[in-house]
Amino acid sequence: MKEVRLEPEEMSEKKLEKTCPTCFEVPIGPIHPALKEGIRFTFWVEGEKIKKVDIRPGFMHRGIEFMGTKRNLVQLIYLAERICGICSVSHPLALVQAVEAAAGIEVPPRAQYIRVIIGELERIHSHLLWAGVAAHELGFDTLLHYVWKVREPVLDLLEDITGNRIDYAIPIYGGVRRDIPPEKYPKLKDALRYYRSLVDDFVNFFLRDPSIEARTRDVGILTREEADVLCAVGPTARASGLRKDVRQDWPYFTYPDLEVKALTPEDMGLEVRGDVYDRIVVRLLEVVQSIQIIERCLEEMPEGEITSVPKVAALLAQLKKAEGEGIGRHEAPRGEVIHYIRLEADKEAPVVWKVKAPTYSNFMPWFPMFEDQEIADIPIVAASIDPCICCMERVYLVRGEREEVVWKEELLKLSREKTKRVASRLARHAPWGRKG
Amino acid sequence: MIFKALFQQLLTKPVTNRFPAKYMPKSVVGFLAKVEKGEAKLTPPVPVTEGFRGRIAYDREKCIGCQLCIRVCPARVIEFKPEEKKIRMYVARCTYCAQCVDVCPVGALSRSQDFLLADYDRFSPDLIVE
Amino acid sequence: MSGLNALWQAILVLVGGGAIGFLYKGLDRKLAARLQGRIGPPLRQPVLDVVKLLLKENVVPRTAVPWLFQAAPFLAFVAAVTALLYLPVGSLSPVLHSYGDLVLLLYLLAIPALAMAVGGFASGSPYAVVGAQREIVMMMSYEFPLAIAAVGIAWRLSTLGIGPSFSLATIAANPLWGLVGPLGWIGLFLLFVALLVVTPAELSKIPFDIPEAETEIAGGLLVEYSGVNLALFYLADVIKTLVIAGLVVALFIPYGIAAPLGIAGIGGKTLDILFFLVKLFAVIFVAVTVIRVAFARLKVDQVAKLYLLPTTFISLAGLLLLVLDKVVMGG
Repeated sequence: MKEVRLEPEEMSEKKLEKTCPTCFEVPIGPIHPALKEGIRFTFWVEGEKIKKVDIRPGFMHRGIEFMGTKRNLVQLIYLAERICGICSVSHPLALVQAVEAAAGIEVPPRAQYIRVIIGELERIHSHLLWAGVAAHELGFDTLLHYVWKVREPVLDLLEDITGNRIDYAIPIYGGVRRDIPPEKYPKLKDALRYYRSLVDDFVNFFLRDPSIEARTRDVGILTREEADVLCAVGPTARASGLRKDVRQDWPYFTYPDLEVKALTPEDMGLEVRGDVYDRIVVRLLEVVQSIQIIERCLEEMPEGEITSVPKVAALLAQLKKAEGEGIGRHEAPRGEVIHYIRLEADKEAPVVWKVKAPTYSNFMPWFPMFEDQEIADIPIVAASIDPCICCMERVYLVRGEREEVVWKEELLKLSREKTKRVASRLARHAPWGRKG
Repeated sequence: MIFKALFQQLLTKPVTNRFPAKYMPKSVVGFLAKVEKGEAKLTPPVPVTEGFRGRIAYDREKCIGCQLCIRVCPARVIEFKPEEKKIRMYVARCTYCAQCVDVCPVGALSRSQDFLLADYDRFSPDLIVE
Repeated sequence: MSGLNALWQAILVLVGGGAIGFLYKGLDRKLAARLQGRIGPPLRQPVLDVVKLLLKENVVPRTAVPWLFQAAPFLAFVAAVTALLYLPVGSLSPVLHSYGDLVLLLYLLAIPALAMAVGGFASGSPYAVVGAQREIVMMMSYEFPLAIAAVGIAWRLSTLGIGPSFSLATIAANPLWGLVGPLGWIGLFLLFVALLVVTPAELSKIPFDIPEAETEIAGGLLVEYSGVNLALFYLADVIKTLVIAGLVVALFIPYGIAAPLGIAGIGGKTLDILFFLVKLFAVIFVAVTVIRVAFARLKVDQVAKLYLLPTTFISLAGLLLLVLDKVVMGG
C-alpha cells in the first residue's frame, strides 16, 4: 500500500528557509471571510503556489463534554443538539442510541421511522447550505442566494413538523417527542416533489457551469489510498471512491429495511478523481437519495406509539437506575458521528460522555489536499470537506516555544484557576450580576 | 447556462419578506416611534406555524410546585419560589426546547408563539415570567 | 475666454460625471440584486457609502510605507478624473483634446490599476502583497487586447485619410462601420467583443476580481485601506467605469440620434447627450452587471491564459481582417 506522508521530509521549516528564500507566510484565520468558523491555517507560499501548510484548531472549544457531566440525561439531549447548528439533530440521534444501548430502552417502530425522516430532511438542508457556501467561496454569489432561497421550503417544513427551523428537539430516549400526523403528509410530499423538480437546475448550475468546473476540477485531490489511510468519512471519503456509509455498514433505526447504499461519483457515470467537483457530485446524489428515502418512509411508516416511555418523570427514574456503557452512531451530513456514554446507577449525570464528530476524521485529509494548490484554491478546498469545527474541537496548548498537548486533569485545573482570576477581576470592576 | 434563470428572476418579485421595512431606516427607534403614531407601516414577519416553540406561557393557578420542570430544563431557566410553591422563569436564558411543557403533569406550561423578544435588559419585566 | 470656457466645461463634466457615475453604480447594484432574486440596496447607496467612508478614521498600518500608502489613492482618483475630461459626450467634443489623446487615455486608464497595486505593495500586509501581485499579472494580460483594439481602429481611420486619427473626437465623429466593407465589419465586431471582454478586468469585477477576492484574501490590495483613502479608491472605480464605457461607446457605437431625427440646436444636443448616457448604461449592463452575476471568480493563471490566448487571438484576427479590408477596398 502506498505510504501516505503528511509532512514530507523536504518541507520542514528549516529546509524551507534554505531552499525557498522568496517564500512568505500567509495566515488564514482564525477570523477570515473564507472560514465560517475559527481555525488557523498558516501557509508558506511562493508567489501563488502553496509549499507547506500548518493547521491549528482550538479556537472554538466550549467544554461541552465537561458541561455534560453536570447535567442529567434529559438535559443532555438539548446540550448535544447545540454542539452544532447545521448537523443539529445528528448529535441527539447518536446520543439517544448510545443511552438506549446502555440502559436497554426499546423504541417503537413508528418512532424509528420519524427519526429517519427528520435525519434525512436535515441532510437535504445541510447539503443545500453547503452548496451555497461553496458557491460563495468561489465568488459565485448568485448561486448562494439561489440555493439558500431554495432551502427555505425545507426549513419551513421542519418548522411545521418540529416547531423550529434549526434545533428540532425531536429525539428523546425511547422514541420521539412529536408525531407526524397524516394531515402533514401532503405538505411533506409537496416539498419533496418541489425538490425533485429542482435537481435538473442544480445539475445545470453546479455541474455544467464552465467557471465552476474550471475552479473545482482537479483541485484538492484526495486519492483513494489517502482517504483510506487517513480514515476519511462521509461525502469526503465517498468522493474519493470509498464506499463507506454508516447506514450501509452498521444499519440502525429503520435503515436495515431501507437498504441504503453508499454513493460515489461512479453512480452518476463519472470517473472518480477525488477532487472538489466529485464532492459536489456526491452531495447532489445524496440529496436525491434522501428524497427517495423519505418518500419510502412515508409509504411504509406503521401506526403505533411514538415513544415507549411517555412520562418523562418515569424516564428519569429509569435512567437513574441504569448502568452500563453504550455507543451510538449516525451518518450525519458530514460523515459518521459517534457518541459514547457510560452510566452508573444512582448518578443522574453520565460518568463519561465522549463525542467524535465527523470533521475530526476529515481533518487530516486537509494536508494532502492542500499539496500543490494555489492560494486561490484555499477557500474552496477548506470548504469542500464541509468543516464543522465547533463539533470537533479539542484543545491544544502552546506554552512559549514548546508545544505540548494538555490532558484533562491539568486542563481542568488551569481552567478553574483562570475562572477564579477572571471572576475576582470582574467582581472588582463591574457590578453586573444577578439581581435578586 | 444560468442566464435564463437570471432574467426570469429579474422579472419576478423577490421573495424576501420586507420585515420591518423595505430599506433600513436611519434610526430604528425613530422608525418604531413613527409606527406607534401611525405615520409608518411595519411589514409583519412571516407567520409561524401552530406547533412553533416560542416563549413558554405559565398558568399560575394550575401549578402545583412539583419542580419537575426545574429538573429537566437544560438551561437552568426556572427558579422555584418556596414560599409560594410557584416558579419564576428567566426567558433570557431559555433555549425554547419546550421539555418543561412536556413534563408538566398538570399542563401549567404551554407553548406560545412569541418570538420577538429582544430587549436591552436581560432582567426586564418582559423577560421574566411568573 | 476659451480658457474660462474650458474651465466651466470641465467643472460641468466632473460634477455631471460624478452624479451619473453614482447613479449608474447604484443602478448596477440594484439590477445585479434583482438578477439574483434579492431586493437590493436603494439607488442612493453609493452616495451613502462614500459619505460613511469620509466620516471614518484613516488608519495607516505601522508596517506600511506611509507616503506611498497615502499617495496611491489620490493618484488613482486624479488619473480617473483626468481621463473623464477626454471623453466625447454625445455630439459634443471632449473638454480636452489633442492629436494623440487615444494613447493618452490608455495610459490614464492604466494608472488607477497601477496605483492600487503600488498601494497594495506599500500596505505591509501579506494579503495586500498577494493581491497586488495578482493585479500586476492581470494588467499585463489584458493590456494586450486593449491596445490592439484601440490601435486597430485608429490605424484604419488613418488609412482612410481621416485625421488626426488618434484623437477621440475624430474617432467619435467618423464611425468606421459606414466606411469599411464586409470584411471590415467582421473585424470591427471581433474587436468590439474583445474590448467588452476586457472591460470587467479593467474594473476588477467578477469573474476577474481576483486582486480583490473577498473570500480568499479578505479584500486583497484594498485590505488595509479605510476612511478617506478608501473613499478615493471607490470614487476612482466609479469614474473609471464611466471612462471605460465611454471609450467603448466612442470607439464602436458613437452614433447620435438627433441627426437622423432631424432635430438641431440645443434640443438636438441634449437629445444626443441623453442617448449617449443610455448607450453608456447599456454597455455597463451587458459587460459588467450581467457578467458579474453569472460566473464564478477565475484564478489568476486562468485569467492570464484567457486574455493572452483566446482574447488576443480574437483581437489579432480582427486587426488582420481590417488590414485585409484595406487591401480589398484599395485605399
